[in-house]
Amino acid sequence: MITADGLTKRYGDKTAVDAIDFTVRPGSVTGFLGPNGAGKSTTMRMVMGLDHPSRGSVTVNGRAYRDLPAPLHEVGALLEAKAIHGGRSAYNHLLWLAKSNGISRKRVDEVIGLVGLGEVARKRSGGFSLGMGQRLGIAAALLGDPGVLLFDEPVNGLDPEGIRWIRTLIRNLAAEGRTVFVSSHLMSEMALTADHLLVIGRGRILADTGMADFIARNSAAYVRVRSPHAAPLATALTGAGWAVSPGSDDDRTALRVEGATAKQIGDLAGAHGLYLHELTVVNASLEEAFMRLTADSVEYHARIDQPIPAGV
Amino acid sequence: MTTATLEPATAPARATAAPRLTFGRLLDAEWTKLRTVRSTVWTLTAFVTLSVGLTALICLAAAGELSAADNDEPVGAFVTWGLLFGQLAALVLGVLVASAEYSSGMIRTTLAAAPRRWPVLAAKTTVLTGLLLVLGTITSVASFLAGNYFLSREGIGLEISDPEALRALLGGGLYVAVLGAFGLGLGVLMRHTAGAVTVGIATIFVVGNLVNLVPGAFGEWLMKLMPGNAGSAIANVEQFNPELLEPWVGFAVFAGETALLLAVAGWLFARRDA
Ligand SMILES: Nc1ncnc2c1ncn2[C@@H]1O[C@H](COP(=O)(O)OP(=O)(O)O)[C@@H](O)[C@H]1O
Ligand SMILES: [Mg+2]
Repeated sequence: MITADGLTKRYGDKTAVDAIDFTVRPGSVTGFLGPNGAGKSTTMRMVMGLDHPSRGSVTVNGRAYRDLPAPLHEVGALLEAKAIHGGRSAYNHLLWLAKSNGISRKRVDEVIGLVGLGEVARKRSGGFSLGMGQRLGIAAALLGDPGVLLFDEPVNGLDPEGIRWIRTLIRNLAAEGRTVFVSSHLMSEMALTADHLLVIGRGRILADTGMADFIARNSAAYVRVRSPHAAPLATALTGAGWAVSPGSDDDRTALRVEGATAKQIGDLAGAHGLYLHELTVVNASLEEAFMRLTADSVEYHARIDQPIPAGV
Repeated sequence: MTTATLEPATAPARATAAPRLTFGRLLDAEWTKLRTVRSTVWTLTAFVTLSVGLTALICLAAAGELSAADNDEPVGAFVTWGLLFGQLAALVLGVLVASAEYSSGMIRTTLAAAPRRWPVLAAKTTVLTGLLLVLGTITSVASFLAGNYFLSREGIGLEISDPEALRALLGGGLYVAVLGAFGLGLGVLMRHTAGAVTVGIATIFVVGNLVNLVPGAFGEWLMKLMPGNAGSAIANVEQFNPELLEPWVGFAVFAGETALLLAVAGWLFARRDA
């Protein structure tokens, strides 16, 4: 379990993480979703005690990271940047790590087998491909058999096979009852791996919601309507209790209607004697919902006049 | 929360082993790091080769002149002369122990495994100085034996059992051990290999000689107190420079300066983001 309380990080006068509160629970995968620069890596570094919070705090299993008696037995992490000395073999990298936390050599061999690096374990890790380096990072994270795992953008740059391997691993770790916290800037990736979603933008939590709930809310269809009588039609639709917003920036005849079916809209237009030039049911993509959620709030109001969908 | 499914991951059965971070484990980890990279092997090879080889060469070359009736050079300054160059490798090794962690990004793995930073710095310092103390002493003895062989041929050899000689041999180990720690302090402070090596060489070797140009008593004390000048006297049987502090006094000054540097470095290490 990871708990952040008013967690804040400032670099100079830039606020990278802005007083966020969240809880990451065991037994499921919590996706940490946000565009580049949102503050995901910074948050994860603060969880690991690497960056000091400017304000607030974050605990793992109820303790600050630095107070864990033997951290590798409780927390494993694959952080964004490569954190391995290329001159050392994979085996020796895991060996010194194991020794620091009183972990046996047997376990070192075990995790090497687990991530499939047996063939190259005695070679200098500097020559490893991105995928192999990622596997070594994961072996290090699993070394102490920890109950809490953090993965910062784990599939970035990997080939499809590597991506699948990591997705499966992450799902399995959560299924074993562990707390799994995974960041990504891709909604599609989160939709595949996460059970719970924590959306971050500009250092603030924008949504904290179940994945199923997020999908249910955001894959809801809307209807695009074009009419030469857009203004009176909008008034009529709003009068009937449906949400209407401009359907396009440059086409004044377009409307976006939520909550009504195409049939209801067509009937209403007919009853008022208004012509329709288009009546299309549109399924909003999750990616679009995510973009809307994380778009700069100023920009947001100017372009799409509708409330933020989930959580908040 | 589903505590039932949580159980396997944090089972009390495993807690009986109750693994803890101990200083012994940190030492073991740091020792493993140090001995598993080639840069350690290379710097230490350079240290031994330069120290012993150059001592043998200079003694071979100078023995004739030194044995002449009109010689006014201190013979005892030649038997560990190569250390003057070998010590560079000890400084570089010290810097690398810290800076290589930053250039590779491994510092984050280190601090994830051992989040309290003072113990990490203490473990690195202990392992590095322990290794350099042993290897430095052995190297001094080897230098002495090699250099003295050529001096003895000219009838001006020294006795290894002489108290000043014994002090210099142990002193060689002590000096390079503290010099390594000095490099480590710079490495932690600057987090950059080339920068820390440059500053280290400048402080120990260049500025130490340049301050000779500062006039008066102030200049004289500045010269005596510069880390390399104060510290290196203990590693030589006799000094070329008669102005230097007494060997043990000088060494105490150098050790104090290094402790101060490490304290500042550790203070920053504990406060900075990794
Ligand atoms: N060490 C640092 N110094 C200054 N600014 C930083 C530092 N680390 C991150 N930032 C800034 O903080 C913001 C959040 O960065 P980051 O946590 O890396 O985002 P993400 O991982 O979500 O892409 C960015 O604007 C980034 O430029
Ligand atoms: Mg990031």
